[in-house]
Amino acid sequence: MVQERRILYEHLDVPNINTFDVFRQHEGYTRFEKAIADFEPDDIAKMVMGSGLKGRGGAGFSTGLKWSFVPRDIEPRYLCCNADESEPGTFSNRYVLEKNPHLLIEGILICCYAMGIETTYVYIRGEFTLGKKMLDAAIKEAYEQGYLGENVRDTGLNINIYTHPGAGAYICGEETGLIESLEGKRGQPRNKPPFPAVEGVFMKPTVVQNVETLCNLPFIVGNGVDWYTKMGPTYADMRNDPPTPDPNTGTKLYCISGDVNEPGVYELDLGLTCSELIEVAGGLRGEEVKAVIPGGSSAPILTHYELDTRLDFTSLTLAKSMLGSGGIIVMNETRNIVDCLLNIMKFYAHESCGQCTPCRWGTPWVRDIVQRIADGEGRQTTITRPKFGITESGRWGDTGETEEIYEDLDLLENVANNIANVDTMTWNTICVFGIAVSWPAVSYMRKFRPEFEAAIREGKLVTLPVAEATVPPEENYAYQQRIIPQEFADL
Amino acid sequence: MSDEIVQIETPFQFNEENKREFDELIGRYPVKEAAMLPTLHLAQRQEGYITPAVMKYVAELLELSVMKVKDVVTFYPMFFEEQVGKYVIRICHTLPCALRDCKVVLEHLKAKLGTDVASETDLAKGTTDDGKFTLMKVECLASCDVAPVIMVNDDLYKNLTPEKVDKLLEQLPN
Repeated sequence: MVQERRILYEHLDVPNINTFDVFRQHEGYTRFEKAIADFEPDDIAKMVMGSGLKGRGGAGFSTGLKWSFVPRDIEPRYLCCNADESEPGTFSNRYVLEKNPHLLIEGILICCYAMGIETTYVYIRGEFTLGKKMLDAAIKEAYEQGYLGENVRDTGLNINIYTHPGAGAYICGEETGLIESLEGKRGQPRNKPPFPAVEGVFMKPTVVQNVETLCNLPFIVGNGVDWYTKMGPTYADMRNDPPTPDPNTGTKLYCISGDVNEPGVYELDLGLTCSELIEVAGGLRGEEVKAVIPGGSSAPILTHYELDTRLDFTSLTLAKSMLGSGGIIVMNETRNIVDCLLNIMKFYAHESCGQCTPCRWGTPWVRDIVQRIADGEGRQTTITRPKFGITESGRWGDTGETEEIYEDLDLLENVANNIANVDTMTWNTICVFGIAVSWPAVSYMRKFRPEFEAAIREGKLVTLPVAEATVPPEENYAYQQRIIPQEFADL
Repeated sequence: MSDEIVQIETPFQFNEENKREFDELIGRYPVKEAAMLPTLHLAQRQEGYITPAVMKYVAELLELSVMKVKDVVTFYPMFFEEQVGKYVIRICHTLPCALRDCKVVLEHLKAKLGTDVASETDLAKGTTDDGKFTLMKVECLASCDVAPVIMVNDDLYKNLTPEKVDKLLEQLPN
C-alpha cells in the first residue's frame, strides 16, 4: 500500500505547534534563516523554478514561472495569500491555518524575501473564524520575535502580514476576484490580461499564491531542489521537440471525502492512482465505486473504469479532468448521479457573481434543467425525419424515420457548452467559473447518460446498478486518455 | 431601501473598542476603500446586522458614497440587511455533506426550531419567533471530512446526528 509522506503536515498534530516556541523546536523559521543567510533572492526564485512546484490552488500553474512574470522595477509589489478555501471537497488549508499557522508565515517570509515584497495580505474566508484567530495570534508572536515588522532579523528587510476576512463569496477564490474583494469591491473577476503579476492589487504587481503552495517553500529551501524533485513523477512531454520536462513534483494534501471509511487529509507524493488513494483512506464505504470527483466539484467526474488514472496535474489534464485543489469526492453504488449533479449545480447557480451574462443566466438554467429531470419532468420527444427508402406500398419514397430524443439532455449540453465549451476549452465568460460549471454538467451527463435517460423515461429518479449507469469505455469521450501515453513516459 | 429615501433616525457609531480596531485596520491599506470588508464585519458584530445607518457611517469613514457600500453589502452572503437571531445556524448542504446525510440534520433542525430555512432575501423566514435562532443553508464550509457540519455563529460543529444537534441546542444559553 502507498505510504503517507508527511512533510507539510509532519508536525500538524504536535501539541501547541501553533505557538512560536514549539514551532521553533521543530525547525521552525530555520529555513527562512537559511534563505536569508545562504541565498540571494534570485537564487530562491531559481530554486522554486527548478523544483517544478505547481500552484496547489486549482490551476496548477508553475509557481516559478509565475514569479518570473513579476516586474522587479515597479514598487511596491504585493503578495496575496489565497486562504479563501471554498471549493466543495477541499479542506486542507483550514488545518494549516488552525493548527500550524507559523508554517504559512515562514512560507510567506521566504516568498517576500525572494520577490522583494514588503506587504502581504492573507485573504482568509469569512467562515474561518478559528483559522483567522490562530493566524492573527501567530502573526502577533512573529512580530514580537522580530520575524515580521521593520528590519526583520537585522537584515534590513521590512515585511508585514495582514489578514483580511472574506464574506462568504466563492468567487473570491478566483485570483482577480480575490483582488477586487481585497480592494473593497464586489468580488467580480477582472479580465486578463493584465495578469495580477503585472497589475494586481492596487494596480501593482502582485503574486497570488495558495496556502499550500506557500507552505511548500520552506521545505524546498531547507532540503534543496534535488530532494524535492525526487518526490512525484516528472514526465517528458514528447509533443515538443526537444521534449520538455513536465514536473509533477512534491507531495499533495489530498482531501478525500464522501463514501470512504476514513475521510480526511492525506499527504502523499503526487502521481498515485485513484484506487490507491481510496485504499489509503480506509477503503470504500459501500460495495462498489460508482464515481469519483478528482479535484473539487468543478472537476469532470471519473467513472469506475477510470480509477487507474493517476492523480497528478498532467495525468488528469490528459484524462480531460483536473487535479484542481485536490478535493476527492467518492460516490458508491447507492448514489444517484442526477441527484449529485443537481446539488453541484445549485451550488454554482448560487455562487455565480453575475458579471457575465452567459454565466449569470446559464448557470440557473442548467440547474433548472437538472431539477426538472430529477423531479421526473424531463422532456423527451419523438421526432420524425424524412428518410428515403422503400415505403409500405413497395415504392421508393419517404419512409419517415422516427427517433426518440432526450430533448433536455441535448439542451443541458447546449446551454453548458455555451457558458464554456468543454471540447474546445473556450469560455464565454471573464473567469474560469464558466468552465467550472460546464465541466461537471457535461461530464456527468455524458459519462452517466443511462441514468439521466432513465430518469426522463421513468419520470422519477432511478438509481441504476453501476455497470448499467455508466457508459461503456468505448463510448466514454475521455477514457482513452486516462493513462499516460508512451510519449509521456517517466523521465 | 430600494426606491424610497430612508430616513436614518438613530445614527450609528463604532464603540470605543471597535473604533480603535478600525483605526488600526485603516493603516494597513494604501487606499481607504480596501478596509471595506473588515469594517463591515466590525459593524455587523456591533449592530447585529447592516442597517442603513451603518452603511452611511461606513461610507463616511471610508470616504465613499453610500451606494458603493450598499453595492458591496448586497454582494456578500455573510452580511445581513435584516435582523437575525441571536444564534445564526449555518448548515452546509453541498455534495460532501449531502453524501453524509445532511438532509436528516436539516429536517431535524427545522422540526426542532419550528422554522423554515432563511433565504438571502428573506431572513425572517428562517428566524424563530423568539428571535433566538436563524437557520440558513450555506455552501461548502470546507470541513468535508467531518461532514455533516453546522456553524453556530463562529463555532463549527462536526459529524452531526439528530441526537448531537439536540444536545448542542440545549447547551446554548438564552
